Amino acid sequence: MSDTQHEKPMNDEEIRTDGGTDTGESFRQRVMDNPKPGAIWLTVLVLLIAPELGRFVDWMLALGGGIKFIFDGFVAAPAWIGSNFEDSLGFVAGAFATDITALLMLFVLAALLRGYLPFHPDTRLGLDLSRSRRVWFERGFLTTVFAAVTAVLVFTPLGALLRNEVGFYVGVLDSIGDMQTLISRETIPNHGYQTPAGDWEGTFLGLSPRYAWLTRFLLVWVYAAVFIGWLWQGYNVFREHYRAMDWTPRDDVIDRLRSHSWGVFGIVVVLGFIVLALFAPAIATYPIQENVYQPYAEDSEFKYFNEESGEVEMAHHGDANLDSRSQGEGSGTVSINEYDEYGRYAPLGTTPSGEDMMTHIAYGAQTSLTIAFVSITIAVFLAMLLSLASAFYGGIVDLMTIIGTDTIISIPIFVLVLMMSVVFSQGDVWIAEPMDGGFLLALIYAFAYMPGMWRSIRGPSLQVAQEEWVDAAKSYGQRPLAIMRKHMAPYVMSYLIIYGSLLIGGIIIVTSALSFLGYGVTEPTPEWGRLISDGRNAVATESWHVSTVSGAMIAIVVTGFNALGDGIRDAIDPQAEANATGNAGGGA
Amino acid sequence: MSRWRYVLKRLALSIPVVFSVITFLFLVLRLGPLDPVAARLGQQAQGADVQRLRENLGLDEPLWVQFQDYIVETLTFSGESWVVRNGAEVREMMFEVAGPTIWLGAWAIVLPLFIGLPLGFYAGLNPNTPSDIIANVSGIIWRSMPNFWLAVLALAFLRSTNGGDGPFGFNWYTTGPQTQSAVGTPTLNFATIDDIFGIPMLTGMDWSAFFVDLKLILPAAIILGSSSMAAELRLGRTAVLENVNSNYVETAKAKGLKGRTIVWKHVFRNALIPIIPIVTNEAFILIGGSVIMEQIFNINGLGRMYFRAIQTADVPLAGAIVFLFTVIIISLNILQDILYTIVDPRVGYDQ
Repeated sequence: MSDTQHEKPMNDEEIRTDGGTDTGESFRQRVMDNPKPGAIWLTVLVLLIAPELGRFVDWMLALGGGIKFIFDGFVAAPAWIGSNFEDSLGFVAGAFATDITALLMLFVLAALLRGYLPFHPDTRLGLDLSRSRRVWFERGFLTTVFAAVTAVLVFTPLGALLRNEVGFYVGVLDSIGDMQTLISRETIPNHGYQTPAGDWEGTFLGLSPRYAWLTRFLLVWVYAAVFIGWLWQGYNVFREHYRAMDWTPRDDVIDRLRSHSWGVFGIVVVLGFIVLALFAPAIATYPIQENVYQPYAEDSEFKYFNEESGEVEMAHHGDANLDSRSQGEGSGTVSINEYDEYGRYAPLGTTPSGEDMMTHIAYGAQTSLTIAFVSITIAVFLAMLLSLASAFYGGIVDLMTIIGTDTIISIPIFVLVLMMSVVFSQGDVWIAEPMDGGFLLALIYAFAYMPGMWRSIRGPSLQVAQEEWVDAAKSYGQRPLAIMRKHMAPYVMSYLIIYGSLLIGGIIIVTSALSFLGYGVTEPTPEWGRLISDGRNAVATESWHVSTVSGAMIAIVVTGFNALGDGIRDAIDPQAEANATGNAGGGA
Repeated sequence: MSRWRYVLKRLALSIPVVFSVITFLFLVLRLGPLDPVAARLGQQAQGADVQRLRENLGLDEPLWVQFQDYIVETLTFSGESWVVRNGAEVREMMFEVAGPTIWLGAWAIVLPLFIGLPLGFYAGLNPNTPSDIIANVSGIIWRSMPNFWLAVLALAFLRSTNGGDGPFGFNWYTTGPQTQSAVGTPTLNFATIDDIFGIPMLTGMDWSAFFVDLKLILPAAIILGSSSMAAELRLGRTAVLENVNSNYVETAKAKGLKGRTIVWKHVFRNALIPIIPIVTNEAFILIGGSVIMEQIFNINGLGRMYFRAIQTADVPLAGAIVFLFTVIIISLNILQDILYTIVDPRVGYDQ
C-alpha cells in the first residue's frame, strides 16, 4: 500500500463516498427545515421513557459499571506487571516496568485515536514531514498529551476532585434509578397473603397473585412491543424525512429481511430474549434477593395464611422454599401455574431447591445475554484488529497469526473451554468473581471463539481487498485506514454479524453445558443449564418441569439466533446459500 | 505446485502448530492456577509432605527443564498420572478407555450419515414440498437443541419404560437384547481376534454381544450425532439443489439420459464434494460432545477420563488427552485438504 505516487493526496472530506454529494445540507439543517415529524417522534419517545425512567437509568448505570470494571482492569494492568517485575528484579525495575507498560498502553490508544485528530500538530509547529513520519509524529504527540493528562490526574489532587465529581453524578443517577417505575413490583405487587375470609391482601387491586403477576407480565411485553415498534417508526421517520438519499443499498437489505419470515421469527425470538433479560426484575415473580440470594435475611420475611391454624403468620422465603422443593415423587413439588403452601404463586413451578422457576429463568436470561454480549464484543473487536493487521502487514505477521489461531482452532472448543474454565475456577482468580464466573467465562469465549471468527472474515477481507472499488479508492488517493473503514469494513462486518449471531447460539449452549457439569457460572447466579442438571433425575416424575422448561428455553433462543443469522445472511446476499456450499471446501 | 509439494507444505505447516499447542497446554496446565499437590493431599496439607510431593512431581525444577520434559512427555505420551491413578502410565490408561469412545464416535458418524444425507438428498430432489419443509425445519430445530438436554430427556424416557410402561407397552430393556441398565460402558469383546500365521485376523463374531454393545451406545450415538445430522441434511439439500439446476444436468437431459441415471451418475457425485468438510467438522463436534455424553450415559471413555483428570488437577493425563484430541483434529484437517485435491482438482492448492 504505497501512497508515494500521489503527490497531493486529497482530503477525505472532498470526496464524498456515501452518495451524499448532491445535497450539500447537513442532517441538522434538514431537521431544522422540517422539524414536525421529528418533534412528534421525539415527544412520544420521551413520553414512553418517562414512566420507566428509573429502569433506563438503572440499565445505564449497569452498563457504566461494566465499562468501569474493564477500565479499572486496564488501569490496574501497569501496576500489576510492575509488581511482578518488582518481585523478581527489585523496586527500580518494577517502577520502570509500570511506566513502560502504561506508556505502551497509552501509545496503543493514541494510535487508535490518531485519525480523529482535528489538526496536524506538525504543520502547526512548522515542520514539514513526510506522510509516514507525520503519522508517527502524531502518535508520539498524542501519547505525550495522554501521558501528561494521566500524570496530572494521578499526581495532583485534580484526579481525586474529578473522581468526587463523577461520584456525585453517579449518586444522583442512583437515586433516579431507585424511582418507582410503572411496570414494577412496587406498582403492581403480586405477592400478598390471603385473609381468613379468602380475600387477597397486598396484591394489585386485590387480585389473586396469579392474575396480579400476569398483569405485570403482559404489561412488560406490551410496553416492550410498543417501545421497539416506536424505535422502528423512528427509523422510518428518518428514512422518509431526514435522510439525504431516497434509497441506499441497505434499504434493500432491510426490505428483504422483513419479507424473510424465518428471519423475522428469529428477530422476534431474539428481541423477546433481550426483553426477558432486561426486564428480569419485573418479570421475576419474587425479588431475586429475597427468594434466591438471601432467603433468610430480614427483608425476606413475608406474611402468609396458615390453613392449619387459620391465621396469618410470618415466614422466611428460605423456610418456605424447603417445603416447595420440586425433587420428584413425594417432595412438595410445585408445578407450572400452581401455588405453594405459603400462598406463593409459581408461574413455572419451583426448582429442586424450592426457589421460583420464573425468577431463575428471567435472571438466567440475563446471565446468558451478558456473557454472550461481552464475549462477542471482545471477540469481534480482536478479530477485526487481527484480520486488519494480518491483511495489512502480510508475511511473517500473517504466518504467526495463522499458527496462533490454528493452535486454538485445533483444540475442540468444548474441551478447551472446559479446561480453561476448570483451571481458572480452581485458583482464587479475582476475575472469576463478577457474576460467579460469568465474566471469566466471557473472556474465555472471546479467546476461544476469536480465531474462528478471524478465519471466517479472513477470506472475505482478502477478497474485498482485491475489488475494483478498493482499487478505485486507492487510485484517487484515499488513505488506507479510510479505505478499510469505508469500503472494506462494511463488507466484512456483514460476515461478522452473521457469524456472531450463529456464535451466540453456540455460546448459550456451551455456557449451559458447563453449568450442567458444575463449572462456568456457579451458584447462586441463575443459569439455565444448571436448572437442567438440577432437575435431571426428576424428568419422569411430577417435577418434570424443571429440566424440560429450561431446556426448551435454550432450544427456542438458540433457534432464534440461528434464524436471525440465516435471515441476515439471505438479506445481505441472496445468493449466499449457494456460495456457502461452494466456499465450504475452497475456503477451508 | 505439484500435489506432493502441497502435501509436504501442509505437513510442514502443522509442525509449529503442534508445538504451539504443547506450549499452550504447558502454560495453562502447569503454570496456571491448578494445584495438583492440593488435589492429592487436600487443601490443608503443609510442610514436608508437600515439599516431598512437589519434588516427586518435578514441580521444583527450573521452568526451562520442566518445559523440555513436558514436550518430550507429551510427544511420546509417556507421562505418568498424578492423581486419577497415581503413577500409572498415561498411555496405558488412555488405551484402556479409548475403545468405548471410538465405538461411540464411529456410530455417531455413521448413523447421521445414513439418516441425514439421504433425507437431505430427498428434500433437495423434491424442493418446496411439505416433506422438504418438514425435513428442513426439523433439521434446524434439532440443531438448536442442546445435546445434554436431549440426553437427559431420552434417558428419562428410556428408564421410564422399564417393566413395559412405555407407550404401546414399549420396554427399552427388553427390546432387542436383554439389558440390565440403560446406561453403561460397552465391553467390546464381541470379536475374537487370533493370530493366523502371525497375522491377527478376525476369527469369530459374538453377535449377541455385538448387539448389546450397540444397544448401550445407540441413544448416546444418535444424540451425539444429531447436530451433524441436521448439518448434513441442510448441506445435502443445498448441494443437490445446486447441482440439479446446473448446466451439465441440462446437457444430460438434452442428450436423453434417464432421470435415474442423471441423479446417480451426475448429481450425487458432485453433491458429495461439500460433504467432506462436514465429516471433519463432525469429528470436532464429536470429541467435545463425547465429554458430556459419556458423563451422562456413564460410559468409561476418553471424554469422561478427561473430565475427571481436569477436575482433579491430573495435569499429565489431562494434557495428554487434549493433545491426542488435537492431533486427531490436525491430521483430519490435513487429510481433508488432501482429499479435496483428489476429489475436486479445481480446489486450489496453488493458493
